[in-house]
Parts: sequence; structure tokens; C-alpha cells
Amino acid sequence: MTALINEQGLRHDGRRIEDLRPIKIEVGILKNANGSAYIEFGKNKIIAAVYGPKEVHPKHMALPDRAVLRCRYHMSPFSTDTRKNPAPSRREIEISKVVREALEPAIMINDYPRTAIDVFLEVLQSDGGSRCAGINAASVALADAGINMRDLVSACAAGKVGGQVVLDLDDTEDKEGQADVPVAIMPNFDQVTLFQLDGILTQEEFKKAFGFALGGCRKLYQLQKEALMKKYFGHGEPIVEENE
Amino acid sequence: MAAVKKSLVVEALRRSQMTELLAKGKRLDGRGPLDYRPIRIETGVISKASGSARVIIGNTEVIAGVKVETGTPFPDTPDQGLLVVNAEVLPLASPYAEPGPPDEDAIELARVVDRGIRESQMIDVSKLVIKEGEKVYAVFVDVSVLNVDGNLFDTTSYAVVSALLTAKYKRHEIVDGKLKQLEDTEPLPLKTIPTSVTMAKIGDTVVVDPTDEEEAVMDARLTITTDSNGNICAGQKGNAGTFSFEQMQSAADISRMKGEENRKVIREVTGFAN
Amino acid sequence: MPDVKRRYVIPGEVVAEGNHRPIANVLRVGEKFYSTRVGMAEVGHEGVRVIPLSGPYIPRVDDLVVGKVVDYSAFAWEVDINSCFFAFLPAQSVFGRDFSPAEDTLTSKFAIGDILAARVIAFDRTRDPLLGIAGPGLGRIPRGETVKITPTKVPRLIGKRGSMIRTIEMATNCRLTIGQNGVVVVNGAPEGVVMSIKAIKLVEEEAHSADLTQKVQTLLMVPAGAQA
Repeated sequence: MTALINEQGLRHDGRRIEDLRPIKIEVGILKNANGSAYIEFGKNKIIAAVYGPKEVHPKHMALPDRAVLRCRYHMSPFSTDTRKNPAPSRREIEISKVVREALEPAIMINDYPRTAIDVFLEVLQSDGGSRCAGINAASVALADAGINMRDLVSACAAGKVGGQVVLDLDDTEDKEGQADVPVAIMPNFDQVTLFQLDGILTQEEFKKAFGFALGGCRKLYQLQKEALMKKYFGHGEPIVEENE
Repeated sequence: MAAVKKSLVVEALRRSQMTELLAKGKRLDGRGPLDYRPIRIETGVISKASGSARVIIGNTEVIAGVKVETGTPFPDTPDQGLLVVNAEVLPLASPYAEPGPPDEDAIELARVVDRGIRESQMIDVSKLVIKEGEKVYAVFVDVSVLNVDGNLFDTTSYAVVSALLTAKYKRHEIVDGKLKQLEDTEPLPLKTIPTSVTMAKIGDTVVVDPTDEEEAVMDARLTITTDSNGNICAGQKGNAGTFSFEQMQSAADISRMKGEENRKVIREVTGFAN
Repeated sequence: MPDVKRRYVIPGEVVAEGNHRPIANVLRVGEKFYSTRVGMAEVGHEGVRVIPLSGPYIPRVDDLVVGKVVDYSAFAWEVDINSCFFAFLPAQSVFGRDFSPAEDTLTSKFAIGDILAARVIAFDRTRDPLLGIAGPGLGRIPRGETVKITPTKVPRLIGKRGSMIRTIEMATNCRLTIGQNGVVVVNGAPEGVVMSIKAIKLVEEEAHSADLTQKVQTLLMVPAGAQA
């Protein structure tokens, strides 16, 4: 197999240390959902759908002063090399939780008392960094649904591969590498909403990786913004007449 | 997930007292922001287990048991033994705990602790092979939470680590194509002591080792695990709050400092030198 | 209003800084006003607001809504008003003060599936919206076709002092009932209804393009410059 980082400092797929994989975000791809988005992030292909705010079932789950945010991250059985059992795994349950907690700080849930907001992430094809890719899609889907938000949430991982700190690990690098650090932020408020780390990093490497991840998040924010702009402002200059 | 966790309701008076005190750098139980409650570790508490430990931090109490069995390796790692960490909050641990399969909180707890052990390479799994691709040792660590008073992550992590550090298992051999258990026992092949440090952000203050009450009030939680060299090997932010970029950086420093202190306690009890 | 500045924003973008009055869909943190929606930001004399381009219908008292009866109890009809909250129309407000659940059957007035035009009488954070049908043009809509549009685009379909409605109604010889909740009922001859719906869809798609009125007129083959 090829080296994870060759003599020219290039990674096994030809990227430099601080390069992202190719990313494509599309907003509003499902008819039924109140908001939706599709993201390709390397080989990841993920659909995000938002339903809500809507009535809560069962009713006793409703909260009097805010919306209940529910999140499901799920991998299709055909999304992986060997078939994945369709029942939710412990990994998927944990990711559903951290994704929910990464999105919630940005959503103004107090504006929607007694309702539920459901976020579904379906991983059609998986690659490294699917939770970050999913968060990016979910956050634009929420904006597409017109739910009040303090900010978007932008996510990107950094890590250590072949002894070097790199941005955005793919599947191979995730498996063969030494560390993976997924991070999500609210880019206009400089707040971290998701942070996980596995692997070994020295304190210096940690600080470098964290910095790389923040840089990646900022790039993702631009892509999210472009995707929303394209869907909503594809034409012309803004005008509005006074009406009613 | 219950819509409202009644266990997390804190009296308004306590809450305002807590935030007032924190502004002065103090906590309700008299600790400073970076003080742990007393940590008590007892090993060898379950003689039928290969290794075991009971850890008490403040009023939080957990027990961890290691069972070393044999199993088939994963197809993609034929030359590695297996590690399985599982955690359960027993119904007797709090008036609000309920029987049933582990909920997302217990799953997260087990997975974060597992990550610290696995990623620090505490266990040299390459030495847990009986016959490559066919038979390996499987290390099962099961944790039962006995009493809940905050910081389950560190309490569980220290219990798992202490149980592993003191575990002894029976060797196996393949003789004439059959698996045979030998009589002599051996300690597990261990290299380092991963030590987690859990922090809570309350208002703008970051404290370590939060109590149940503090966790009920906190905005967000952060666990960072370091190995014996001070390298970071696992991390997890929890709860629907946020950390600023500066808080993240200083949390890394805190985790190394407090991790080293607590590692000393674990070393003293277990006699592990690394 | 030449002194109003408009630009496209997404959630989290700073719309304005300094001393302003927040009007709608902005979040004030310290000196900054952040957009909470995808939409058009306006900063003017009156204050700061974002006109959203997507989002659910959140009821407001006095809104005219078009809803569908989905259920009833002994005392009230439950009405789907295209919102996250189901609305209630109390039987007493329809039968009058001497309404008796023992003697009056609700289905004698409205059945499940009926389309109603109604006004929101009461709504707040703690209770579901309450409807009333007292007033001209309210009550069951006996015929017509319903179309749904994004609720935030309803003002454009109404147009300046109702100009867009009139343009469509006159060109197609149809009558439009437009609920603030994004449900529109079109009533008229079949050809006219088809044209009206095309025009409504166009307004929805191009709600914020500069020459919307002209585009609608072209679609409906209204002579240029004709006054609605």
C-alpha cells in the first residue's frame, strides 16, 4: 500500500496536509421535509432532513417552554464495505447524541414551545468524518426549514496521520492514522459545540490539530453559505415592496 | 430520553448560591474550581473476576470487573486481542435510574471510557493472541454504577483502569487443535495509565470533577484523557452548551495537570510503575 | 424608502451594529444584531429586521387563516392550519350561546375535511390557537381549489395594498382567499383556476425578484401598464 504521507508531503489521495476533500452541498432536496440538504464530503454521501416544528408524539414528551430536539444519525446497510446491520448500533446512538448537542446551542428552541424538531441524518455512503459532514448538512437543513437559529454550525475534523497533523481525515487515514479530532463551531460566535478526540497527540500537536480543525470549520462555513445563497438568492438583487 | 429529568432539578436558591460562590472562585462544598473530591480506590474486590476495582469519588461510587475470556479476532485485526467496555447505571444507583437496556447516556459513558483505554494503547492487544486469525484473548470490562453523584466519566474510567492494572488471567494454549487452559496466571500486557479529567462549564467558570448538582446546572461538559506521558488520547464534549476556543486550550492544560495528580493515586494503589 | 438598506443574509450573519430597534428575526447580543433566518435584512429608521424566505407558520392574533377540519369533540372542531399547532374552533362560537352538546351535533355544521376561512382569536405560548368565524367571508368555503405556498411569502402574493391579488383575480376571473398560513383557495372557472395557480406558483418561486409584477402580468397576458 502507498504511504500515508510521501516524501513530497502529499497524502495517499494526493492532498496536502491542510487540504479538504472535495465537498458539495445542496439545499432543499427533499419535497416532504420542511428543510433538507445533501452533502458529499469525500466519499461521504449524506442526506439531512428536518421535520418540524411539529406536534410532539407521544404528547407527554412535549416541553412547555421549548421545543424538543431529536436527532437520528443512521447508516444505510449498503453504506459500508461489509453490510451494516440496520439496527442502530452503540456508535450510532452516541453520534446521534453528540450531533444533537452540537446543533442545539445554535437553535432557538425557546421560540417553539410544546413542539418537536426532528433532525434525520441518513448516511448513504460512508467515509471518514461522516459525523462532521452530517452536522454541516443538518445545520443548513435547519436554516432551510426556516427555524430560528443563532448561527449555523460548521464542522470539520483534524487529526494525525503518518506522524503529522493533518486536516480532514478520510476512511483510510482514520483507520491507519494516529488521531482524529472532530470539531464543530458556531462560526460567528467562536464557540465550540462538538469536540471529540481519539488517538494520541502531544499537547503541541493537540493545539495544532485544534487550530487546523477551526480553519476547516471556517472553510465549511463558506461552503454552507454559498449553498444557501444558491438556493435562495440564485437570481437578481434583493427587492421588496411594502405590502399588506 | 425522558422529556424532563426530575433528578436534574436544582433548587433555585442552591443555583444562585452556586453561581455567586463560583464568581469568587469557590464551590458549594468548599472546593476550588480545580479541586477533586477525595478519590478512594480499592482493588481486588471481586475474587471471581480476573481483576476488579471499586472507586469512590465524593459520593459517586462504581465497581468495575474484568473478565478475560477467549474469542475469535475481528477479520480485519487477526493479530489483536479484543477489548469490550460496557457500563450500566444500576437501578439502585439513584432514585431516578430505571431498569432496562443502557440509554444513550450510559452508552456514551462506556464509549468515552473505552476510547481512553483503547486509544492510549494501554493494553498491548498484539500480545493477547493465542493463534493468529483464530483464537485471541477477549478482555471484557463491565462497570456497574452503584451511586450517582456526578462525574461518572472519571469515576468509571479510574475503576476500569485500576481493574485492568491489577488483573491476572489464565494463559491458554492450543494443543492438538484444542484450546487448553493452563494453570499459571499472568498480568495483562499494559503500557500506560490513561487518566481522564472531566470538566464542567458553569456560567463562565470551568470546574473539574462536577457533583450531580453542578452537572444539573452546567452548560457543557468536557472530558480529556491523557496517558502517562501527558499526551492527549481521548476527548469528548457533552451537553447542549459550548466552550470558547480559549477554554478549550486551557482545558487541555488542566487535563494534563490534574491527570498527572490522579494518576499518582492510581499508581499508589495498583503498584503499576509506568 | 431610499434610506432602507437591504441585503441577503443567513442565520448568524451580523445585520447591523450599534443603536437600533430590533423588529423581527434578529438576535441582539451586546451591540450586534444577528440574523436568525435566511432572508433579506433591512436596516432603516424604524429598526432592524429580516424578512425570512422560509419557515413555518406561527399563528398571530387577528390573522386570517384557511384550515381543514380534521377532528371534532363534543365541544369543538380541531382544524389543521398548516402550522406546528392545531387550532380549535369552539362549537359555542358557531351554534351560539345556547349551544348544548347533548342536542347539537357538530357535524351538522362542519364535517371532517371541510375547508374553513377563519380568524385567529387567541394564541400564546401556552395554548393552542383559538379560531372564530364571525365576520364577512369567514366560515366554510364550499368550492374552489387549495394551493399551499411558503407562509413567509404571503405578503408578496397579496401585494402592495392587495395589488397582486387584484391583478390575478381580474386576469383570471377567479376569486382568491389567501390565508396568512400559506393556504390559498382559488375559486372560478376551470381555465381561470389553472392560470391563477400558475401565477401563484410564480409568485412563490420569484417572490423577491425585482420585476415580479411584470413577470406575473406577462404570464397572465395582461397588457403592460394596465392598472390593477
